[in-house]
Amino acid sequence: MSYYKMSEEDLRQWVDHLLSKVTVYGVQAKGDRFAFNALNDSSSLRLDYDVTILPPKKYFLPPKETLLSYKGQKYDSVVDEKPFVLFGVHPYDLAAIRQMDKIFSSDNNDIHYMTRRNNATIVALDVQTPSAHNFSGNMNTAVIEGEYDILLTKVDSSYVVDVRTGKGKELIKGMSGLVTAEMALVDSRHKVWEENKSRLRAYPLKPSLSEIPGLLDKSREHPVWAEKAELCFSCGSCVMVCPTCYCFDVQDEAEWDLSSGKRIRSWDGCMLERFALVAGGHNFRKTKEERYRHRYYRKGKYVAEKVGEISCVGCGRCVSACVPGIANPCEVYNRLKED
Amino acid sequence: MDARTMKDIYLPEPATLLEVKPFTEMETYYRIKLDSGRPLGHKPGQFAEISLAGIGEAPISISSSPVKTDHFEMVIRNVGNLTRALRTLKDGDRVGIRGPFGTSFPVNDVMKGKDLLYICGGMGLVPMRSVIQYTLDHRDDYGEITICYGTKSPSERLFTDELENWGKRKDIAFLETVDRGDDSWKGNVGVITKLMPGISIDPHKTVALVCGPPIMYKFVLLELRKMEMSNENIYMSLERHMKCGVGKCGHCQINGLYACQDGPVFKYSEIADVKEAI
Amino acid sequence: MSKPRVAIFDFACCEGCQLQIVNMEEEIIDLLSVVTPVEWREAISDQSTEYDIAIIEGSITRPEDEERLKTIRDRAKVLIALGACATIGGVNKLKNNFGMDDVKSSVYGEARDMPHLSTYPTKAADEIVKVDYKVHGCPIDNREFAYIVKCIATGKEPVIPYYPVCVECKEKENVCRFEYGEICLGPITRAGCDARCPSNGAWCFGCRGFVDDPNMNAGREILEKYGKTVEDLMHRIVLFNTGRKEE
Repeated sequence: MSYYKMSEEDLRQWVDHLLSKVTVYGVQAKGDRFAFNALNDSSSLRLDYDVTILPPKKYFLPPKETLLSYKGQKYDSVVDEKPFVLFGVHPYDLAAIRQMDKIFSSDNNDIHYMTRRNNATIVALDVQTPSAHNFSGNMNTAVIEGEYDILLTKVDSSYVVDVRTGKGKELIKGMSGLVTAEMALVDSRHKVWEENKSRLRAYPLKPSLSEIPGLLDKSREHPVWAEKAELCFSCGSCVMVCPTCYCFDVQDEAEWDLSSGKRIRSWDGCMLERFALVAGGHNFRKTKEERYRHRYYRKGKYVAEKVGEISCVGCGRCVSACVPGIANPCEVYNRLKED
Repeated sequence: MDARTMKDIYLPEPATLLEVKPFTEMETYYRIKLDSGRPLGHKPGQFAEISLAGIGEAPISISSSPVKTDHFEMVIRNVGNLTRALRTLKDGDRVGIRGPFGTSFPVNDVMKGKDLLYICGGMGLVPMRSVIQYTLDHRDDYGEITICYGTKSPSERLFTDELENWGKRKDIAFLETVDRGDDSWKGNVGVITKLMPGISIDPHKTVALVCGPPIMYKFVLLELRKMEMSNENIYMSLERHMKCGVGKCGHCQINGLYACQDGPVFKYSEIADVKEAI
Repeated sequence: MSKPRVAIFDFACCEGCQLQIVNMEEEIIDLLSVVTPVEWREAISDQSTEYDIAIIEGSITRPEDEERLKTIRDRAKVLIALGACATIGGVNKLKNNFGMDDVKSSVYGEARDMPHLSTYPTKAADEIVKVDYKVHGCPIDNREFAYIVKCIATGKEPVIPYYPVCVECKEKENVCRFEYGEICLGPITRAGCDARCPSNGAWCFGCRGFVDDPNMNAGREILEKYGKTVEDLMHRIVLFNTGRKEE
């Protein structure tokens, strides 16, 4: 573990240096919002972003990806082995990646996800500008311990560069004029972290995190599900922008020779009408209410039991993506706690 | 961990259709062999994913006893894109197979030495046939065997040769019914639960195994309760869309359970409180 | 198996969807490796009454169109409706909001009663005959057209999105038009276009028709939240979806 001190200008020089060697995805402006995209040079990199429209999950589990190619009835795996750097991931998004890693590596290892993941170096970045809907402070994900290769924290006008792993060291290697950060500066990050923990709370969350699974256990018949779902478009926006949603569909697409083609995985979501439909025509979750409830049970209980923490990191993307305004997890869990 | 050295859980292995035989208007029988020659290695009640490149993939129950290791069998109802295309295939055509996946019926522990009561509705006979065959192959390991089978109409009866055999066997009781009869049908008419009151079992030494359409379970469970069967001794295979088979895609979830990993065979006492199950 | 013979016919429309097929450019060679065109006014001079697949573009706006469509249906094994005019009636249905006399006067003035200018309320193809496949959109997306042709050629039912445009719009990483205070029809419109309009800064016009079960009640309730009225919403809906029973 080593700590360096960089000015913002040093950081940009470092990014340009990386760009000469490897693909770097960083946050750039997209209209008046932000998105992760491939960088051409460091000048477009934004370290002051509030939240990206989509989480960086898209680099590990892309909206559409080829799993297999086929020729006749013979299949071959298609695995994306290109190394890349993900630069400037906020702690809550990193917490989500940690959860996805467990999902895709445990039980049955998914080589498509895991190859991308193993080939990625993640430079995390402590939040500088809170987004209007971020409640990661409630979810214990406003700051993160350890799960990164490198963590950048802006303290006053300089950055502490906390290099944690071998991959992180590799990334910083060859940079000339590196200045070791003095311990006082390294320690002063605690002030940033404490501040982020308290200010990244756009909405209050009344139940404690450990209370949520039990609360759900006794709330299956709670009126909140029907009330909220009444306004649901089943449009899937909440699941598409969610950093911890990973449900998928798989479809084949033929080339013009009709004998070769690809098997393609694409994002799917439990909020979509036909998600639980079987071939015979029976839909096991045919009402909006059942689907809406399922999503909150997945976040607060089912997936939570698999990954060992609530499967919501408080990024607030669902809150802003939902047109009818029914997707705020804090509101839902608070209602369960109140009644 | 180096992902590249690991196997791709989505990669089907090549297999050949040794025999394709239409069964009814809707169902086709397939006898399949993996090209590698390895036995599929399934347990009774498990399923596999069958692929046709360009069309897609679907989870299908394995309907043969694991005792046969040189091939396995599937009976597939023509209800979707893949199954429609599979119906057009001929002997010798090739498909892709992934699996076997999921839980199985406890033929080697819980069921051993017990009386067995099979309740199969419609296509429910297909997964159940693997365990029925297995227990008939090891007949001495089990007590009394009663098989109840119900279909909508006589024309939807599957494995008719086998049904005839079961009917003749003295060492098992075979009861059949159809929802609606026709001129040729001489047997029982009515839903499957109408067969059940006539069956006498010792609930303390019986294991009931249930598989059928979604609507069937709660009515069968009512009858089993009347027979004083405890939830501990009831096993059922549940249908869901097990799209990936490996606990990732989310389609087959029953509350917190994955039908593809925690099922498709469940002990009823373990899902009695799982609201989405029945 | 010999290649299926395909005939393309146009009814009331701008023929822009046929043009989308022409726009496949070099991929047309691939298309021809799978099907044989026997009638296609925009691209070849041949005509035929014998074909396996009929592709219908445009909506039905006159009694004589209806008869022609029925004849085509009888001759074809497979009938494909191409583009919004054929799949849902599309913009041609705007006139159904008015009396036919007003419509004729407004368009043709003095000449309105000439016999060849007869018109009746617009219908989509499936309001008259059975349609086997629909290629949605105004205009169609030629990648989706290619996909559907390949599916028909391999004997596969095409998997067309049943869910709203929002799914693809989110995948495109667009900001929701509602966040900019605009009414967008994305939440009630069938996806499959890759959210073409929102990705280019416009609201969704609904050209692929509604999803099977659009939540119109939610639509009405949330308008207030965005400072809009039911009239604002209807104004957008009528453009492509006049006369939908969900209104």
